[in-house]
Amino acid sequence: MKKSAFWLLSVLLIMSVFLAACSGEKANTEKEPKDGTDGETKTEATEGGTVTFGYTQPFKGVFSYAYYEGEDDANALQFMHEGLVATNDELQPEPNLAEWELSEDKTKLTFKLKQGVKWHDGEELTAEDMEYAWYLIADPIYEGPRFANVAMIKGAQEYKDGKADTIEGIKVIDDYTIEVTVTEPSVNLLDNIWSYPEPKHYYGDISSKELPDADQVRKNPIGVGPFKIKNIVPGEMVEFERFDDYWQGKPQLDGVVYKIIDGSLAQGLVQNGEIDVIEAPKDQWEAIKALDNVNPVEADAMSYSYIGFDWGHYDTKKGVVVSDNQKFQNKNLRHAMAHAIDRQAFIDGFANGLGKPLNTPFPSVSWAKIDDSEINQYEYDVEKAKSLLDEAGYVDKDGDGFREDPEGNPFTINFDAMAGAETSEARAQFILQSWQEIGLNAKLNGGSLKDFNLFYDTIEADDPSVETFMGAWGLAADPDPAGIWLSTDKWNMWRWYSEKSDELIKKGVTFPEDSSKDVTEHRQEIYNEWQKLVNEELPIIFFEQRIDPWAINKRVGGVKVTPFGTDEFHKWHIVE
Amino acid sequence: MLQYTIRRLIGMIPIIFLISVVVFSLAKLMPGDALSGKIDPLNSDPEYIEEMRDKMGLNDPIPVQYVRWMSGVVQGDFGDSFVHKRPVMELIGDRLPNTIILGIAALLITYLLAFLMGRYSGRFAYSVGDYLISAFNYLALAIPSFVAALVAIYVFAINLGWVPASGSIGSGVEPGTLDYYLSKAKHTVLPALVLGAMATAAYTQFLRNDMIESSRKDYVRTARAKGTKESAIYNKHILRNSIIPIVTLLGFDIANLFGGAIITETIFTYPGIGYLFVESVNARDYSVMMAIAMMLTILTLIGNLIADLLYGLVDPRIRLS
Repeated sequence: MKKSAFWLLSVLLIMSVFLAACSGEKANTEKEPKDGTDGETKTEATEGGTVTFGYTQPFKGVFSYAYYEGEDDANALQFMHEGLVATNDELQPEPNLAEWELSEDKTKLTFKLKQGVKWHDGEELTAEDMEYAWYLIADPIYEGPRFANVAMIKGAQEYKDGKADTIEGIKVIDDYTIEVTVTEPSVNLLDNIWSYPEPKHYYGDISSKELPDADQVRKNPIGVGPFKIKNIVPGEMVEFERFDDYWQGKPQLDGVVYKIIDGSLAQGLVQNGEIDVIEAPKDQWEAIKALDNVNPVEADAMSYSYIGFDWGHYDTKKGVVVSDNQKFQNKNLRHAMAHAIDRQAFIDGFANGLGKPLNTPFPSVSWAKIDDSEINQYEYDVEKAKSLLDEAGYVDKDGDGFREDPEGNPFTINFDAMAGAETSEARAQFILQSWQEIGLNAKLNGGSLKDFNLFYDTIEADDPSVETFMGAWGLAADPDPAGIWLSTDKWNMWRWYSEKSDELIKKGVTFPEDSSKDVTEHRQEIYNEWQKLVNEELPIIFFEQRIDPWAINKRVGGVKVTPFGTDEFHKWHIVE
Repeated sequence: MLQYTIRRLIGMIPIIFLISVVVFSLAKLMPGDALSGKIDPLNSDPEYIEEMRDKMGLNDPIPVQYVRWMSGVVQGDFGDSFVHKRPVMELIGDRLPNTIILGIAALLITYLLAFLMGRYSGRFAYSVGDYLISAFNYLALAIPSFVAALVAIYVFAINLGWVPASGSIGSGVEPGTLDYYLSKAKHTVLPALVLGAMATAAYTQFLRNDMIESSRKDYVRTARAKGTKESAIYNKHILRNSIIPIVTLLGFDIANLFGGAIITETIFTYPGIGYLFVESVNARDYSVMMAIAMMLTILTLIGNLIADLLYGLVDPRIRLS
């Protein structure tokens, strides 16, 4: 539902079906090579069986990648469908259903589809299915959120605006080849361009607007993935069965059950084996990871939390942020506020240690993350914080225990945070006390926490009472900071304007002038420079990167955990 | 009676109208809308959010939005759910059977327990058994339902493993088979028990007090004087009279039946109306939220009417006019 508010929904669980245990009887004593990431020793693998994968938010039942919106539906989709492009362990795109080729001038992208990939109804996947998906999304009546992923295709905008009957940039060459022309070259084209085909033959002529409510999406959706849908109980459970014609070979499990449960029951259900694979609620992690039947896996996530300073407002007319708030312009002040907080203690105390302090907006799993030795670590140091403030002229002149600003006026700081978790209040108090410790008069804005909606409403509306706020972002695999960090971005919540930063961000998605240079290396250099800039300027206090805890029952093998969830579903199997 | 009913029904129209204003205003007063949860660079962008707000009419003046919503409601169209991408009525229709099954099961449990306990308490008033029963009743009334639900799940589903912990149906069962109905029953029994057994206080005490009162009436004394057996006095004469006020409570239960149990359904992940309501409030899915609120309002009004009519039916002394 709301991926950016990770703590609000960091609970992902499963609950299993007792039938599951009974169906793995066709014992097969073949040795299976194990995936290294699940941390298991080699044991006998059994063919067949059912695994239950759970989640704590009800799913909406929009089972099409072009239309789904939340993680709740994505969890079901991942078992049944795949894209032309996948993400590898280095978080770079890798070929999945198709190989690709980029033309000399980097504007023509040609996908060559694998032959013999079958939809669940037996039809073969063709280039037309990909073309169809792009047309669905660019359709003027399309109401899903994915247009940004096709906007770079030449002619897509014209088609969306109704000025053209076809999308100029798409050309189907034969059944397995499709060529797409983009408006301008971009290094992260493959990360951004939509790559999930839709079954054209199956959807027939249902309009793009009506598809999300059509039976083909809601009741009998199909894909090309390792499992096909057998039964959907709305909001409660999806049953999958093995798809024998899966292009990477027959999956090992007989089926998968995706089940919704209440987060408060996670520990008990993992314990009694009704849950097989689950992203555990963080507050129950201590107890869950100690269970005998569980393989605990902690995976670095592509998300981080931050404390933003309010720099100004967003000028809607000009579409650019204006950093006109004088309050936090002093760099020493910002640095001092960062040094004042013991982030490790915060993580240990409130998140069972499931997190790490970070100092740039790239979590450590990202390939673009700068080496820690090159940037300021903002370690916890109260004395340093105090001396920074003294230096900047923030001293206590009237003896009330709080510092005044350099002009001698009272200096107070409003702090905003989201309510929701049991520890929300305590977390906020922790931050406030850390700042009070160094003599800054910090208090909760309005005296209370805000719920998710009110929190973002207030901040987006540039409410003058907002001064500092704690938020979080979930990130995509590609490190491009645009979308959050450009001065033209509405989601530049802290309203920080920096020409230098804008310039580097834009440069980060261009190809190197010297075409023999490795693109990744080229981008790494630019992003290192950018990270040094934001690390030094500190427009927001980078707080912590998250670690997602996964509980996997020891009877299940082959589960690969990535920063984005679980993967390699066709290799999952029962270990006896 | 017919005249009375019609008069009451006409009287409901302004009430429903006023309530619709309240429901709509409260919904609009909530911070955020279905799109404010979409702040997520992975899945969305600000242009899309703006465009959708425009398409959904969220940028129109509030009175315009109200008139648009109300004119749909009058025609029986509650609009589409933004989150679920389907018509609200279909969504509610999907969940209603689950809620009704759970509601009826819970109600039967409540009535059965309350009847047994109330009969005992009424007959043996101020005995140890009576005190134990009231103690249980008030305790059950005082325990929050989420605590009761969690304890019940831990004991019966997780430790003892008698029933499943959540959901309304097991996996791998074909609709229409015996297994299917058994699975359904197994999934319903625990939430129904939590709902039903925790709600007996009002009915039990009602029955008990009425029986105590009746036992002091003249006709009871007459029966005793004639030498009627004590058990016959209680089971035949007193009980029959004391059941009357309980029957009329049925009217008030109708709204509960359809409204579902918000907390219990959520903890058991039982996909009924209550669960849908919580989900919609959290996601700011106004159309669903307002539809459920309106539905409950109307059912409550109708339930009250039925209660009044039942009174007239079972007790001829009450004249409806």
